[in-house]
Amino acid sequence: MEYRLRIADETVSVETSRLDQSGAGTMTVAGETRNVVVTAVSSNHLHLTVNGTATEVFAAAAEGGAWIWVEGRPRFVEDADNAPRRKARGPGDTPREVTPPTPAAVVRVMAQVGDKVAKGQGLVVVTAMKMEITLSAPYAGTVTAVNCEAGAQVVPGQILVEIDPDPEEDLNG
Amino acid sequence: MFSRILVANRGEIAIRVMRTAREMGIGTVAVYSEADRGALHVLTADQAVHLGESDPASSYLNIGKIIDAARETGAEAIHPGYGFLAENPAFAEQVAAEGLVFIGPPAGVMDALGNKTTARRMMAAGNVPVIPGMSAPEADPERLLEEAEALGYPVLVKAAAGGGGKGMRIVQTADALPEAAQMAAGEALTAFGDASIYLEKCLDRPRHVEFQILADKHGNVVHLFERECSIQRRHQKIIEETPSPALDDDLRKRMGAAAVAAAKAAGYVNAGTVEFLLDRSGQFYFLEVNTRLQVEHPITEMITGLDLVRRQIEIADGLQLPFNQEQLTRRGHSIECRIYAEDPEADFMPSAGKILFARPPEGPGVRFDHGIYSGCQVPVNYDPILGKLVVWAEDRPTAIQRMIRALKDCVILGVKTQIEFMMDLLSSAAFEAGDTHIGFIEENMGQWTPDQRVNSVAAMGFAVYDMAAPKAVASGAKPAGPADWPSPWQTLGAWDFLEKGWG
Repeated sequence: MEYRLRIADETVSVETSRLDQSGAGTMTVAGETRNVVVTAVSSNHLHLTVNGTATEVFAAAAEGGAWIWVEGRPRFVEDADNAPRRKARGPGDTPREVTPPTPAAVVRVMAQVGDKVAKGQGLVVVTAMKMEITLSAPYAGTVTAVNCEAGAQVVPGQILVEIDPDPEEDLNG
Repeated sequence: MFSRILVANRGEIAIRVMRTAREMGIGTVAVYSEADRGALHVLTADQAVHLGESDPASSYLNIGKIIDAARETGAEAIHPGYGFLAENPAFAEQVAAEGLVFIGPPAGVMDALGNKTTARRMMAAGNVPVIPGMSAPEADPERLLEEAEALGYPVLVKAAAGGGGKGMRIVQTADALPEAAQMAAGEALTAFGDASIYLEKCLDRPRHVEFQILADKHGNVVHLFERECSIQRRHQKIIEETPSPALDDDLRKRMGAAAVAAAKAAGYVNAGTVEFLLDRSGQFYFLEVNTRLQVEHPITEMITGLDLVRRQIEIADGLQLPFNQEQLTRRGHSIECRIYAEDPEADFMPSAGKILFARPPEGPGVRFDHGIYSGCQVPVNYDPILGKLVVWAEDRPTAIQRMIRALKDCVILGVKTQIEFMMDLLSSAAFEAGDTHIGFIEENMGQWTPDQRVNSVAAMGFAVYDMAAPKAVASGAKPAGPADWPSPWQTLGAWDFLEKGWG
């Protein structure tokens, strides 16, 4: 089998040979071929020996891929060809939409339709798990719609405030 | 002794309290909200009472419903756990007024200590050193600016009713103060139902060192040594240890005496914690008294061999402490890692959802108090703590190694946690050196990212898992061989011999 997988921002290709009766075979990862022996302990628990070194791997299928646990380091692994392309996340990044990072309840809405807003201006305060999070304007512009009110339950992907960007604003910035 | 107690809490702490109750032959009553119908604490109790909707006001903060539940089930005492109503004097008072026993300090003591500014005045009067700051809450932005100017920036905005870092902000400059004050007041109102805030001087890279105290109803007060809780994110502890690498016997003795003096000054009864900040010069300052069982209480249990919940229940029943300060000893080193459903790559943002698979760590010196199981939901409505992983070993280096091993074995899939982050933190040279202070994470772990070297093994693990159940996982994978390439799951006896062997 051939896989092109995505883990965070990295693409990893895996080619597997047929495994024999004892679960032994080869796997080629990023051009390097290794001997593997696989034992399924349970439907979420695999025992994987790579070039003679054994590791316990735990796995759980999730929407769009699977969580794979390797010695305290869980990775969400997805099919690279189906995975949505995501921008690398870094300290300087601002989300491009006014949407909560986690399911949350709206505490305050600080914007109205027609408001001119500056980049980084706080628009909506949400609370999740007893923590308040301020969602701010990703770019300067004019508010065209406010899609929530105080007390509402909201989820990631739901656009809470829509903004028509100022013409001079570089949307790729 | 009580025949039945109600635990007015949820998750890992409710289960932890019920375990001791069960050992003492005391019946247990759980309460739960709509979101917690299938929660582990409900499954653990002898009986469970549904309180109402998922929002805390309709359930775990609803005093009337909780007292009704105790009445209906014949519970004689209520243990509040931590958070929710644990430090709410009105609750403690009402429980007592109904003829039930509140397992915690008296309402009046809680009220005085729960107000941070009253507590500061009380401690100063009892000659316990306090951090420079305001002795009364203030809402007027102009007055706050004047106070901040007098203290000198940076200052700390704190909730007067606060605790656990909720409603706390560091402010570096005057122009940032009004917004920080407003946000802190809002958070304080949500968390404690009281928007009062005040200012304190912000110390340079202090350590957070606290002392566990026990006080009975007969005037006996002891401390059970310290806990170093400097490793914090968002002003909330995530790793605690005891003994503190910063304390020698002399400092421990002086701080312990101050903690006992603080408890006596307040007329304290039951288990509590006196928190101090310890500055670089070895000077310590009173921070606050937490009038509850702390999340991190197990590390004290590990080094002293005592069960703090048992002591709480016995004290509430009127028993005397069976030991004095001189009889208390400690042995070895203990570390706790709090396991939260949150994303360390996204500023520790909560990560609610379903736990798809969980397997607790085991082995020598390992204790995992948790409230999860494979398939359980982590609701968005409450604090995202999943459990607390605790280890004990003969010394600090061994305890660190043991904790790293236990974290590797603490399998939780489906929600993000800070397990990997804490493994790397514990492996750092700064932690090994014991150079911990409350800005440790910002200073040493600010650039942290997950280790990419594990990705190739994760990819191989995925391939194997996918071959086991191709439909469930990768739809785009192409067979490299003949189209009827058989699934090892169907054909290979060796693959599932273990399951058969155990069946």
